[in-house]
Formats: sequence, structure tokens, C-alpha cells
Amino acid sequence: MRFFIKLSKSPIAIVGLFIIIFYLSMAILGIFWTPYDPLEMDYNKVLKPPSLEHFLGTDEFGRDIFSRIMVGSRISILISLSATSIASSLGIFLGVISGFWGGRLDNLLMRVVDVLFSFPPLLLAMFIMAILGERTYNVIIAIGIVYTPQFARLVRASILSIKNLDFVQSAFAIGGSKLHILFRHILPNILVPIIVQASLCLSLAILLESALSFLGLGIQPPYPSWGNMLSSARRFMLIAPWTAIFPGLAIVFLVLGFNLFGDGLRDLLDPRLRNIR
Amino acid sequence: MRRFLLISFIILFVILSFSSSQIKTGGTLTIGVDQEVVGLDPNIVTAFSSFRRIDLLYNRLVKYDSNLNIVPDLAASWKILDNLTYIFYLRKGVKFHNGRELTAEDVKYTLERILDPKTASPGRSFIEPISSIEIIDKYTVKIKLSTPLASLLSGLASNNCAIVPKEEVEKYGNLQRNVVGTGPFKLAEWVPDNYMRLVRNPDYFEKGLPYLNEVIYRVIPEQTSLLAGLKAGTLDMATINDGSVILQAKKDPSLIVIQKPGINVRTFGFNTTRKPFNDIRVRQAIALAIDREEIVATAEFGMAMPTSPIPASVKKWAKSYKLLPFSRPNIKKAKDLLVEAGYPDGFSFKIVCSPTYEGGIAVAQVIQNQLKKIGLKPELEVLEWGMYIDRWRKRDFDSMVELRGGDPDPDRFLYRILHSKGAVNNFLFKDEEVDKLLEEGRKLTKYEERKPIYDKLQYLISEKAPVIFLYVPYETQVLKPYVKGFKQVGNGSLYYLANTWLER
Amino acid sequence: MKKYILKRLLSIIPVLLGVSILVFFLVRLIPGSAIELFLGTQVEATPEQMEELKRIFGEDKPIPILYLEWLSRILKGDFGYSLRTSRPVLPDILNRLPLSLELTFFSLFLSIIIGIPLGILSSLKQNPIINILIRIVGLLGLSLPQFWLATLFVILFSSIEGFIPMGNFVPFSKNPLMNIKMLFLPSLAIGLGLGAVVMRFTRNNILEVLQMDYIKTAKAKGLSQRVVLFKHALRNALLPIVTVLGFNAGYLLGGAIVIEEVFALPGMGRLALYAIFQRDYPLLQGIVLVISFLFVLINLLTDLLYAFIDPRIRYE
Repeated sequence: MRFFIKLSKSPIAIVGLFIIIFYLSMAILGIFWTPYDPLEMDYNKVLKPPSLEHFLGTDEFGRDIFSRIMVGSRISILISLSATSIASSLGIFLGVISGFWGGRLDNLLMRVVDVLFSFPPLLLAMFIMAILGERTYNVIIAIGIVYTPQFARLVRASILSIKNLDFVQSAFAIGGSKLHILFRHILPNILVPIIVQASLCLSLAILLESALSFLGLGIQPPYPSWGNMLSSARRFMLIAPWTAIFPGLAIVFLVLGFNLFGDGLRDLLDPRLRNIR
Repeated sequence: MRRFLLISFIILFVILSFSSSQIKTGGTLTIGVDQEVVGLDPNIVTAFSSFRRIDLLYNRLVKYDSNLNIVPDLAASWKILDNLTYIFYLRKGVKFHNGRELTAEDVKYTLERILDPKTASPGRSFIEPISSIEIIDKYTVKIKLSTPLASLLSGLASNNCAIVPKEEVEKYGNLQRNVVGTGPFKLAEWVPDNYMRLVRNPDYFEKGLPYLNEVIYRVIPEQTSLLAGLKAGTLDMATINDGSVILQAKKDPSLIVIQKPGINVRTFGFNTTRKPFNDIRVRQAIALAIDREEIVATAEFGMAMPTSPIPASVKKWAKSYKLLPFSRPNIKKAKDLLVEAGYPDGFSFKIVCSPTYEGGIAVAQVIQNQLKKIGLKPELEVLEWGMYIDRWRKRDFDSMVELRGGDPDPDRFLYRILHSKGAVNNFLFKDEEVDKLLEEGRKLTKYEERKPIYDKLQYLISEKAPVIFLYVPYETQVLKPYVKGFKQVGNGSLYYLANTWLER
Repeated sequence: MKKYILKRLLSIIPVLLGVSILVFFLVRLIPGSAIELFLGTQVEATPEQMEELKRIFGEDKPIPILYLEWLSRILKGDFGYSLRTSRPVLPDILNRLPLSLELTFFSLFLSIIIGIPLGILSSLKQNPIINILIRIVGLLGLSLPQFWLATLFVILFSSIEGFIPMGNFVPFSKNPLMNIKMLFLPSLAIGLGLGAVVMRFTRNNILEVLQMDYIKTAKAKGLSQRVVLFKHALRNALLPIVTVLGFNAGYLLGGAIVIEEVFALPGMGRLALYAIFQRDYPLLQGIVLVISFLFVLINLLTDLLYAFIDPRIRYE
């Protein structure tokens, strides 16, 4: 509750929250109802421009673009949330092992992280997708793995920076168990940067998913994802620009929502962290 | 007869030279294509993109002309002594790009190279019954077969059977990146994924040809970019296969679109050993739910021709699909068949496809929609091209949308696909009657004797429906108006670029 | 300093070794081998033909042994031959490098000339409503997917000749003007998003620096806002941007995949994309190694540059 009161002080976060809620409700509504069946083809209505009937137009199979964007929002949000959960939990786990226990394992893990870091994210994600195959849950895994190193590095660095602070050292001195110290003293104190990083990851995940689908390695037709809608629209973009414009706008605004929310959150939680990114 | 031909040729020539277009030599033609080659050794490669370069770099013994008739290429003429013996008389004075004259030795070497399993040549299955190749003199070769093969000439017309020089193969191991052919053009420069520059072969055996000084292939994977390249004037010509893009090109008055039904066939096939596709009634029900016209209209924007089991473009052999059983939509009968087969509520299964043009994702989506109408629940399994091929090779699919390379000869097309021992019978289809007819069809060399056999086969294959032959896509070239003399063959070949000139 | 450089240079080695192992084994985990792709769906090969093809493709030994052989050849500078084009891998990769370097350079350039002035401007305004607007614009910049921007550019500019390189990309050496014209839109598609990053960074840093004691002293001395900003604050505020740009430059060299794909540019990213699709093992291994090498190298150079221009930093 206190959190929300605090939140209300940041207009940016509120705008972001509204956008996210709008998309969420569209996604949930899309489970039960869409104006048209997003998979139903209509050969008499191929590539029709926006009209009262289909207010974002139709695609190359005469399918309603608005309905497909609604369903696409569900897929995007699902992937964004799950991939971020995977990346953050895996990253925290590795970061804790590395930063808290240290030693040889730390060295090894950080080299692995260095290696993963030296791949451009999209290239790494493409690799993983090519190996796992184009399924929705594989997209989640791939994006999760790609963003794990960032969490791992962040957690490790944060732990190292507070490990030697007095309150932690004294906890050791009293003879507290390692696990106890970890959960009681360390994790709560590094939560803020993790949350900030997670909010960033949410938006990056959407962008990465759409780029993957755009290249044909993400969500596969006939299921709509904003990325694969854009990908097939590329062939028609000159004669039917609406097929390319609206799915793109859908991506832009959801990512903007996450970014606004994350930015506002950052201000509230820790003003020193404004510089991330 | 000879004289008549000569006279008509002269008349034709006179007409041609008096008509508005005067042949101009020289100049560079830039053609846009959407795929880079996968190697250039004619005996080894399998990719369409490679064949389209080999068209201009090498020659075969015989070739298909623009009406899909077999005509001389390196062989000036040939004789068929009996079903088992062929004699080829080679042109004299044909030179490889390295300057050496082509002789019967090279023909023997090349065919033996193709037949050697170690070469791993796809051409081997086209000419496998060859038992001996005998050099009669420097320009005469005798080929003997162990069993009759009606499609031998058709096989020899394949780019996979282009003639290569022995010494160069031995020097390089293979000719994947070193081109030494006899063709009208020579390889000059190659920047992969960007362009390949061919220059005129001054020693080409057809006097006066080619007209062009240079042909540049530009690789532009995006179909819309190909069109943009034409509009911007950076391309003189482009091979385009996306219907929506061709539609846009047709609307542009500054471009000329030439189309011809091609020879490749879009198919929708089943793994006939998997349940429930091992039940003929299930396959028939599906065949009855398929509406070819609708598929062509939607997935190909009308730029294709519905077909029977023999490519509809091969008019000599192909029957109209409308005359064949289980080839026109009949929802009620389809549902009845499903009930009979024990699936009154339908069943769910997977359709394997891929986002590339060959992988037919658009076709799969339309089929999925059509099959829903008879209560089936098909799921698309869209695979990246490499995985798609993996599944194809392992026969790991319920059903699959494909683009099959066709052939003007029905034996070469159907035997490989549907004989129980066929090289690419991925449907694992096994039917004694079909086997028997396919074997008979390849033993005879006379058209009149073969025709009834293939008529019957088309009927049988439609009825047993191991695979549904959907349509032949149009082969499309988009040209600038000043590109003259180019003709389409029907199998995608570009060898008429040797006869092409630029009028500007 | 020398010792530091040496240490950093040495630290590149394990990373590259890790990359090479990872790539070598990962590419062979992708279903569908290069041989299968080569054969395609039109022909069938007998088992003995398959064995022969494996030998031709150099895949006829256990993977660890293949790896060691490959590694020893790489150390001699031999990157092997592409399975698809049969051409040597390294020259074809290096051919792509100039374009990627150019694209990276122009994108960074655009992001700087967009981001820094806007960043400075926005840090001067203290009006809360304008502040929020500026932040929203900045965040909007971050939210634009590059490939969508690129697609929009193609829709908007396709009728104007020369702006969209449609497979007729002209290298800088052949026609510099044409080359820059063609790279403008692709660079802008990357530069806009990156510009937003730079803008936010600039703004935040300036605001932070303005809180510092020495600035307050300068102000107290009676120097004008402008002098304070440009003489004192800006220099210190802009230094960290070097790191951000360096980091992005490293990724852009091999990571501009979608931009190269949409504009049909023959760059490194697209080469990697096709190498994955074609299972072109030697090419993919080569290109990933080159991309990673450039990434670590650029990061090293950025750190050194940073140390050079910021005398406060001393490395041990």
C-alpha cells in the first residue's frame, strides 16, 4: 500500500502503469472475446485497408489485424514476464554463488558470463532458438538465458559492495550462518537494483521477441505475435502499409509503458540509480 | 525435310531482321535473384539457385527448349538404336573455358563421375541404368543401359549431367568454386551474398552468341527489394516468385512481367505409414476437402495452375485435375469417408511447413483452414528451413507441404516420388499396382505406348492419395522493356540469356 | 599502465577460447546438418554417399577432435572454407567488415549529434512539465524497435531514389557520396534509439555534476550558468558516455542483423544470420569469433580511452 502511495507521486510511473494495465486488459479480454477469430481466413477480404468493419484493416489472408494484435499482446506479455522471471532467478542464483561464496567457482562463472556477454544478444538468442526449435516456451527460455548474465553481474557486484560493510561483517562475527546472513542481510539490501534491472528486462524481452519472430525464429504462424505479423507484412508493406504500421505501434506502446513504469520506479526506489542504461 | 527446315529458318531470320528489333551486341545485364548459390559443381549441387548459374556456365548433352522439347546442346544429334542403346554425335570445336576442346573422353569421364557413388551426385539416380559408356571416336559416344529408361534424355538434360573437363576436376578435387565449363559465359568475379559477374565466352560454339558482354547476378533476398531494384534501374531483370510482389510489378507500366506455368509442383503429402494416414479413406477425405483454386488464389495470388499428378504445364502428359477422382472439393463425401474410417469427430495432426517459399507456409495456412471444414484439427508445425529438411529426410511428419522439383518426363518425376523403391518417396507409399505401372512406363520409349500407362497412373494416384498434387507455380521474370530476346523455358532455366540483348 | 594493458589483452584469450568452444559445439547441436541442407529436399543419398559427403564436408571425426584440429588451424590463420560457397571463410568475413564499421560509425555519430545537444538542452530546463515531456520523448526513443523503424523508412522513402540500398549497395571506395546516402537511413534507424540513450545519459550526468561541490563553488564565485555548464560540468558529464558508446559499438558490429536484413546490406550480422540458417559451420565459427574478438577489443579500447581522457583514473 505504501508503495502505491509512493508511486502516485511519480506521474511517469502512473502513465506507464496505465498503459500496462490497458494492454493487460486487452490480453485478458482477448482470451474470451475478439471482434473476429484471429485465425479465421476470409478470402474476400484480403489486404483491406482500415474501415469501420475492420478498423485496423486485414492481412494477406483476410484476417482481422486488430483481433490478431489483441491475441499478440497476450503472447508478448506472457513472454516478457516469464523470460524476465527466468533471467532474474537464474541470474540471482549465479550471482549469489559467485559473489557470496566466491573462490574458483566465481572465477569460472564470471568467465562464462564474459563469454555470453561478448555475443550480441540477438545473435545469442538466434543460436539458442535454432537449437531448441521454434516453440513459444523456447522463445521464453532463449530470452531468459540471454539476459541472465546481466542479472548475474549485477547481483555479484552488489553483493561484493555490501559484503564488507559493517553490518554484514558483524553478523558474521556473531556467528550467523551463511544462509541466514544471505537471506536476512544481503538479499533485502540488493533488492532495489534487481527490481530496476527487471523492469528494464521486461521491455528488452518484448523487443527481442519481436526481433526473433521478425527473423522467423520466434513465434510461428498462424499464431499471431507482433514480430511475426511485421515479418509477413514486409512483403506487402508498400501496397498495404497498415499491415506493418499497427503491429509496430503495438510494440512501441507496450515497451513505452514498461519503460515509463520502470523509469518512475527507479526514481522512487533509488534516485542514485537513474544512470542505468 | 532438312531443306524445308533451312528455308523456313532463313525466312524466319529475314522476318526477324526486318522487324523493329535489331539485335545489338555488348552491354551488361544485371539480374536480381533471391538466393545465393550453394556451390557451382554441376555434378554435385542440388540447389535451384546453383542451377541458374550453371545454365550459363556449362552445357549438357541435350537440353529443353522453350516448349519443353529435347533439343541438341553439346550433342549435335543422337540415335536410339533400341531401348537399351543410345549413340550421341558431339559438336566439333567446342572449347572449355580453359581452351581445350571437348571430346567424347569428357562425356565418358563426366557420366562415370556422376555414376560413381563416391561423387554423391544427385544426377546418379537420373541415369543409374547406364551400364557402359563407349567411345567410338573423338566425337561419338555410345551409351548402353542395363534396363530400359524412357527418361534417359530428360535426365541427361539436367544440369546435374552437365559435361565437365577431367583435368580440372582432378586439379581442384571438385568444381564447387572453380568454373571451367563450355557455356556462353565465364565466371569473372564472385562476392558471395552480393554479386557474381560472368563475362562473355568469345569461343562459345554457337556462333555470334552470346550477345551480352556481361551478366551480373545480384543476390537480393527480399522480394520487394528485387522490385525496388527494377524500379530504381539498378536491375535489368529479376526472378520473382512472390505473388503479391508480382502483382505490384504488373501495375508498373515501366516493367514487363513474363510468366509461364513452371514445372515444379506444390504438394501436400502424408506419411502413409502413420496412423490415421495409413487409412486410404482418411487420405481421400482430406483430398476432397482441398480446394486447389482457393489455394492458388490466396497463397499464390492466382499465379499458379492447379495440377494433376503430372505437372499441368506438361500438356503432353498431364490430364486435367478436374477429370480425376478425389480432386475437387466435396465436403459431404469427405465427412462421410471420415465417419466410415472411424473418425466422426475428426482428429488432430500436424502439418509441417517452413517460412521459405519452398516451405509453403502460406499454402499450409490455407489448407489448415480448409481441413477445419470437415472437422479435422490440423496444427501447423512451422520449422526453420534446416529443421524442415531434417524432418523431411527422417520422414518425421504426419503431413507436409513441399515444393517438388518436376520434370517434363513423367517417369523421371513420378518414379522417384511414388515407386516403393523411389529415391524420394518420403510418403513411404507402397502400392503394387502403382509400382507395376511405373516400371512399365519407363521401359517403353514411344509416346503412344506410354501415354495410356500414365493416364491410368494419374487416376490411381489421385484415388490412393498418398500425396495431393496441388498446383504448379508460374515461373516469373520481370524485365525492363529494353531487355530483348529472352525466353522462358518452363523449368526456370536462364539459358536464353545467351540470346538476350539490350535495346537502349 | 603498460602492465594493465598487457593484463587486459591476456584476459581476452580465455574469453575467445570460451567463445570458440561454445560456438563449435552449439552449431553442431542445431538440428539439420550442413550436409542435409546441401542435399535439400530433391535428392536422397545412400549411406555410402552420406559417408562420402561427411568426408568432403570435413565432418567425419568426433567433434572434440574436429575442434582441436580447427583450433590449431585457426592459430595458423586458416579459418577453413565455407560449406555453402566453398570459398575461404576469412576473406569473406573481412569483406563485410568495412560496411559494419561504417554502419557502426554513422550510427554512433548520429546518436551523438542527436543525443548530446538534446541532453544538454533538456538539463537546462527546470520546468516540470517540459521535464516530463522530455523524459517521455527519451523513453519513446528507447521503445522503438529498430526493425520497425527501418520498415517504416522503407515504406516512406522507397519512392525516392538512392536512399534505400536495394541490393545495389555501393562501397565507400567506389562512390563515397552514394555510399553515405545509402547508409543514412539504416544508421538513423539505429541512431535514433541510441540517441535516446545518449540523451538520457547526458541529461542525468549533467544534473548530477551540477550538484557537485566544485560546481557549486564555481557558481558561488559568480560565474554565469553558461560558463559553469560548458567549462566545468560538460566535460566531466560527458566522459562516461564514451563507455556507453563503446559498449554499443561492440554489439553493433555484429548485431545490426535486422537492420542489415531489412535494408539488404551485406554486413557481418546478416552473414551470421545466413550462416546459422545454412548450418555453414566454418563460416559461423569464424564470424562469431571475429565478432566476439571485436567486442572485447573495443571494450578494451574504450577503457583505455577513458583512462586517457580522464586523468583521475589510474589503472594498476
